[in-house]
Amino acid sequence: MLKQIFIKFALLTVLLIFLGVVYQKWFFEGDLQKHSEIINLIRNVPDSAAVIYLGESSNITYRANDIDKRSISAFLGDYFPSLLVTDVTKPAAHAGVYKVLLDQFSDFESGKIVVVTMNLRSFNAQWIYSNLETALQKSMVLLQPYPPFFNRFLLSFKAYDIKTDAERTNQFKAQWVKDEFHLPFKFSYRNVADWDNAYALKGFRDSSGAINSKLTELGCHFIKAYGFQIDTASNPRIRDFNHIVDWAQKHNQILVFNLMPENVQLASKLVGDTLVYMIKENMQLLVDYYKRKGVVVVNNGMVVPSDQFVDQDYPTEHYAQAGRRIVARNVADAIKKWRPSEYEDFQPVDLYQTHFYNDCDHKMVWGQMQTITDEFAHSGIFSSQTGNGNDYSITLEYPLNLIPDSLVNTISVDFWMMQRNTNHDAKLVIQAEGDDFSGFWQGIPVLPYMSANDRWFPFHFEMTIPDSIRNASMLKVYLYNPSKSKVFIDDLKIEINK
Amino acid sequence: MLFNTIDFAVFLPVILVLYYAIPHKFRWILLLIASYYFYMCWKVEYVFLIVISTLIDYLAGLMMERASDRKSRLPWLVASLITNLGFLFFFKYYNFVSLNLNNLFHATGLSTQLPLMDFLLPVGISFYTFQTLSYSIDVYYGRQKAEKHLGYFALYVSYFPQLVAGPIERFSRLTPQLKTQHPFSSDNLIKGLRLILYGLFIKMVIADNISGIVDQVYQTPEHFSSLDILKGLFFYSLQIYSDFYGYSVIAIGASLIMGIHLMDNFKTPYLAKSISEFWQRWHISLSTWFRDYLYYPLGGNRVKISRWAFNIFVVFVVSGVWHGANWTFLIWGSLYGLVYLAERGINRFINMDKECKPFSIRHLLLALKTFILVTVIWVFFRSQSFDEALNIFRLLSHFDRQATDVILIPQYIWFLTIVFIISDLALYNERFDGWLSKVHVVGRWLIYAFLIFSIVVYAGVENFPFIYFQF
Repeated sequence: MLKQIFIKFALLTVLLIFLGVVYQKWFFEGDLQKHSEIINLIRNVPDSAAVIYLGESSNITYRANDIDKRSISAFLGDYFPSLLVTDVTKPAAHAGVYKVLLDQFSDFESGKIVVVTMNLRSFNAQWIYSNLETALQKSMVLLQPYPPFFNRFLLSFKAYDIKTDAERTNQFKAQWVKDEFHLPFKFSYRNVADWDNAYALKGFRDSSGAINSKLTELGCHFIKAYGFQIDTASNPRIRDFNHIVDWAQKHNQILVFNLMPENVQLASKLVGDTLVYMIKENMQLLVDYYKRKGVVVVNNGMVVPSDQFVDQDYPTEHYAQAGRRIVARNVADAIKKWRPSEYEDFQPVDLYQTHFYNDCDHKMVWGQMQTITDEFAHSGIFSSQTGNGNDYSITLEYPLNLIPDSLVNTISVDFWMMQRNTNHDAKLVIQAEGDDFSGFWQGIPVLPYMSANDRWFPFHFEMTIPDSIRNASMLKVYLYNPSKSKVFIDDLKIEINK
Repeated sequence: MLFNTIDFAVFLPVILVLYYAIPHKFRWILLLIASYYFYMCWKVEYVFLIVISTLIDYLAGLMMERASDRKSRLPWLVASLITNLGFLFFFKYYNFVSLNLNNLFHATGLSTQLPLMDFLLPVGISFYTFQTLSYSIDVYYGRQKAEKHLGYFALYVSYFPQLVAGPIERFSRLTPQLKTQHPFSSDNLIKGLRLILYGLFIKMVIADNISGIVDQVYQTPEHFSSLDILKGLFFYSLQIYSDFYGYSVIAIGASLIMGIHLMDNFKTPYLAKSISEFWQRWHISLSTWFRDYLYYPLGGNRVKISRWAFNIFVVFVVSGVWHGANWTFLIWGSLYGLVYLAERGINRFINMDKECKPFSIRHLLLALKTFILVTVIWVFFRSQSFDEALNIFRLLSHFDRQATDVILIPQYIWFLTIVFIISDLALYNERFDGWLSKVHVVGRWLIYAFLIFSIVVYAGVENFPFIYFQF
């Protein structure tokens, strides 16, 4: 009997090996594109890249009225014009994600400078047990260092951390109670849960002494975001960053941790010194801990003023143009010791622009970039898809008031568009916002200009810019299509002329 | 812990190895610990419901056996019924009843409002409640001797392969098997593994891939053409079947490896020639439970025709309500009752039930008729509300509507669905493990290769719990 079982298991093993080969040859790539699209971020990194910047949304988020909407990594590139600085940006990523991504770089040439974003909030329980984790973890399964067929088996059998939103909420709430504060001074609250409750009950009082509920809520967010003390022995982010350190040592790469700025001024205003103490304590701990491991940590924690934070109603690491530039400059200063000859003391000059062009293929930083798709394209590979959930196309956002009045007379908009069917009322929208007028919105239906489905048609529109909006703080141009029917646009050209 | 997860893929082999490694006298302990652990993976606290249910029914069984007549047994039966049905009512129906009463109070101008509870429905409560109820009722009627061994009784209530979604086993069938020493059998191992493989295929590859199509149609039916809605209805019939059938087959296979035979829960129901036959082939353990513990006590068919019709209707309505606390389930059950009675009425004039050769034109036409009826009735089962179900039918009837979206069904889903339908036809009145034994060894290994490859490569990757877990 045992012999029979052994033979069958041997046969099964051979069968599994054969299926594994078939899978790897003909199916694996398709699965990677479907379930672990993140792999493309790695593949897009050219061999010639000298600096690789790993980041999350802090790298690419901008404020609508930024003249230069480029990312931190792009700003970093300004200081090393002869080097190729490239980025691997995945929103909501953290050290656990960077770790898996870096493991894919195993055959990379040594001596590259790898800048890894270190986000203080990612060390807190709310982020560790975030409901974004299920999707993130799922996208990592196929990238594990096992045979592809086995990885696919793990994906099919849900071998990743699947939890419902309610379960994850319970996890971090439990952690908030479990993690007690250990401070060198007397503090009224044992843990962040107590602190948050007390603050919510007490409320934030404005100068008149009245409770401001909006700021109270914001204060609670700050407490929950920063009211923790990193335990290097148990915090999973520390384990992940340590893995990255080991990876860099193993592959002879130069590692830099970029500790991101936090809105400490607002934290101080809303909550007070104890929270600022915790923020500083955690930042110093990270700097010291990784310094001992031979890693340079660029401590940007306090360098960005409050007004440079894009989100003023929630603690995030999204910075306006000047904020992003400060971070980029500090990182550049830190890494110039390895590349002194390529470093240039770059001084940014912001010139206004009157001509704008986006072919959807060259990573221009416009609004609604998530609408970029490779489903169809008029030129290149990509276009912007509207409809069926994407109400707005890629959007030009520009502070019109930066352009001298004498140059602002007409606006012309040209693009190519394609519809799948006629069940839509898509409009080209020109919108302006400003303090001294009540808003401007003009919609031009585009349906009459498409005489067939599934074909590209050019569209041209020109108008005189009304005097009332010449000083608009924001001009927006986009295609608006709230219908279920898809309309694609590509090669969008906008010109503001005398 | 779901059968289609890595946790179960590790859990089951560990338990199987331990099961055969330890002496028979300790196996019940192992299985009981494993079963409680299996259940606690969902929500630790809810294991106490099973423990309380077990203790009360165990005690009630012993006391009923001691009692000399039915009258003195009755209080213990009532205690068992109140406990089990009380839990079931509280967790499953309380909010539904309260909500409807609150609406009634509001409509009649009363200010009384019953509070609503915020808790998760304990997984499998309807299944293990019915399992343990059948024991108490059998002991009450003297059909079953009370179990003296608390451990075995607890294991009967909680036996992990069938704990959360059946098959609902009877004490007289399951417990003797649990008590019998089963030496390791390679035959059972191979048959069990075959069943698990097939069950995983129909759950993970068929049901889980189809679910996205069905969800689209039911979430925004107004976006789709009548034809696409029809596709959605068709696929839901397949989804619910493959989802529940898949679970049952895995449960039977997992248990079979330990030498314990669970009852078959499905026998190609969509090949039934009538609704009556459909219910002899669909969720058999529940149908027979209702037959034995509700239909017969109501008088079965040994009563006047009007009373018989009433009995049939009541059984289907209760069956509907068993599935969930929503008016849609009540309507779903009622419709089955009405269609069942209508078919019986028609049969008095045209005997549609008369024997016919399997797969004859007559058989296939009758099976098609049953399938269409069942598919239509499923709409009430799947819909969240009566209005939603009616909306589906309304949209279905407007063929001239302009759709704003289309259902895109990838070719591999069509292919795998066709494979499943063919396999189901091949398994008419046969079980997969037995059928596969008759296939030539090369064909058999090709089938293994196909199933393994499909499960690994084409399984849905989202988290798809078994539909029947919510009941």
